[in-house]
Amino acid sequence: MNWYRKLSIKQKQVVWAWTFLAIPVLFYVVIRFYPTFGSVLLSFQDWNLLGSKTWIGLENYEKLVADPVFWKVFNNTFIYLLLGTPVSLLISFIIAYHLDKVSFLHATIRAMYFIPFMTSAVAMAWLWRWFYQPVPIGLFNNFLASMGISQLPFLRSTVSALPSVLAPAIWAGLGFQIIIFMAGLRAIPQSYYEAAQIDGVGPWTVLREITIPLLKPTLVFLVVFSSIGFLRIFDQVFNMTTNDPGGPLNSTKPLVLMIYDTAFNAFDMGYAAAQTVVLFTILLLVSLLQLYVMRERT
Amino acid sequence: MASVELKNLTKSFGKTEVLHGIDLVVKNGEFIVFVGPSGCGKSTTLRLLAGLEEATSGDILIGDQLVNNLEPKERNIAMVFQNYAIYPHMSVRKNIGFGLRTSKLSKADREKRIDEVAEILSMTELLERRPVQLSGGQRQRVAIGRAMVRDPSVFLFDEPLSNLDAQLRTQMRLEIKKLHQDVGTTIIFVTHDQVEAMTLADRIVIMKDGHIQQVGTPSEVYQHPKNIFVAQFIGAPSMNMLTGKQVKTGVQLDGGPLLKVLPTNKTQNSGNITIGIRPNALTLAKDGDDVLFEGKITIVEPLGAEALIYVDLGYANVIAHVPGYTPPKTGEMVKLTAPQQEIHFFDTESGLTLRQD
Repeated sequence: MNWYRKLSIKQKQVVWAWTFLAIPVLFYVVIRFYPTFGSVLLSFQDWNLLGSKTWIGLENYEKLVADPVFWKVFNNTFIYLLLGTPVSLLISFIIAYHLDKVSFLHATIRAMYFIPFMTSAVAMAWLWRWFYQPVPIGLFNNFLASMGISQLPFLRSTVSALPSVLAPAIWAGLGFQIIIFMAGLRAIPQSYYEAAQIDGVGPWTVLREITIPLLKPTLVFLVVFSSIGFLRIFDQVFNMTTNDPGGPLNSTKPLVLMIYDTAFNAFDMGYAAAQTVVLFTILLLVSLLQLYVMRERT
Repeated sequence: MASVELKNLTKSFGKTEVLHGIDLVVKNGEFIVFVGPSGCGKSTTLRLLAGLEEATSGDILIGDQLVNNLEPKERNIAMVFQNYAIYPHMSVRKNIGFGLRTSKLSKADREKRIDEVAEILSMTELLERRPVQLSGGQRQRVAIGRAMVRDPSVFLFDEPLSNLDAQLRTQMRLEIKKLHQDVGTTIIFVTHDQVEAMTLADRIVIMKDGHIQQVGTPSEVYQHPKNIFVAQFIGAPSMNMLTGKQVKTGVQLDGGPLLKVLPTNKTQNSGNITIGIRPNALTLAKDGDDVLFEGKITIVEPLGAEALIYVDLGYANVIAHVPGYTPPKTGEMVKLTAPQQEIHFFDTESGLTLRQD
């Protein structure tokens, strides 16, 4: 170890840092980066999982652009994003904002909101499938019928299926978002509100001009985090529409489900890889765009 | 401008009573400082006045109007918080103008008012900046500006200087005092720093455990402390305290000699006496002086023009002031004396002063 002793303090720190970093670096290279580059490469090839790979250039992407199902799915994915993110953030903010002011049974209520987040998506999806069943099985339709209102088709209609799938997905994520929002709210010094109270501004102004601007870091995090979640939605859709995954007529099919179908039902690995690359690009662009729009302006 | 009156004010949080009946009259335009150790109820009193907390019992009057059930905004007060409470996402101008949002002034008048206030606080050139771009003292000034802009009848300051470093604190202290002289609004100021209290106040309110200990001008509370707590709290370093028993010819110190001094008034006391002498009244005895104490110096603290010496008397330790240029050395034996009128007497049991003058 003579060479080690001769190093400067700075060099010794570098040696130690890289010693500890070696395992995560190895992990990321083997488990993350290698497959990522592999799938980019694969997207230019034709491969059925067993045979040999053949280089076909941009053919997979050309096929994708010409595929009407892809555009339908692309559309669906953005509906999940554009509906899911704002609705879930709005609901969770309203709950967190009011829960923050409640001290009675605070911890219990918070735990109750958090439980769905810990529940298995499969169990939840199947429970909601039951909710959506027609009379005399489904909870919602039974309720509607008892009020004398006509039944809703929920998962059976191409129009209402997507929102019906989205609802439990939003519900499942609320607990997490509420916890993060409450942490953000707690971090705002009480004296800001007291100063506003003495200045005599109304609660609406306080919310708009103090609470929300000061919650911006929390908001940026949650917007990016939940957007990525909705862009990658899969388990909820797959489990709620098992008879015809993504149906009826692809009306609920998101991009990830299409990738799954292409890869493990059609065994068209190259085509699936091309779709994955598209999804990755969308995720990257959406995240960067959000970070840019909500950046700190000084 | 307005007077403020607190009548038998109490406040409980749950079952704990933190204020036990506060009575105080603040004159119009007066600078009042609440001072006391943490937990004494000084901030709670201020928050009750502001309307941020509700009084459990008692009355609060601002300008002869009962305000117990009025919202903070209806009390026409302004408050400066310890952490300034200025909004980091707004410019200085917006921060100062925030309090004017509910006023009926036109937009042009508001801007004019903000400019006026900025002018008084000499921060016109800072108006478009964000708080992150300001120093601690400048942020403090923004907080004061926001309080001034509404032209309130009473200013409330909640330990506004404690987040500043020592030098800035001295400077801001002066600025606040000057501001008070210029605008003349009633100010109620809370601090735990007795120097701040002494330098700023027209009258000081010394609090402890939810009770007012003494109300008086800085020189009153310094020269005539009502009890042992006030005597030790005001003045730095703290007053030397020696316990003993009153006998016919003087005070027999516990474990020490007989001091031939007696309280001037003849009010009844328990016979257990505490003698208090401020360190700056206790000096080296010259030939012919009555020697009060004799002891060995354990520590010398030079302060420049003067020095503090810690003297071990054998039965107690005292601190004394000596000239700083040629201070005595550690280990030397010294004789100490103090003028008769600088010796305070307290009843050890009640803690109250035994002096009437």
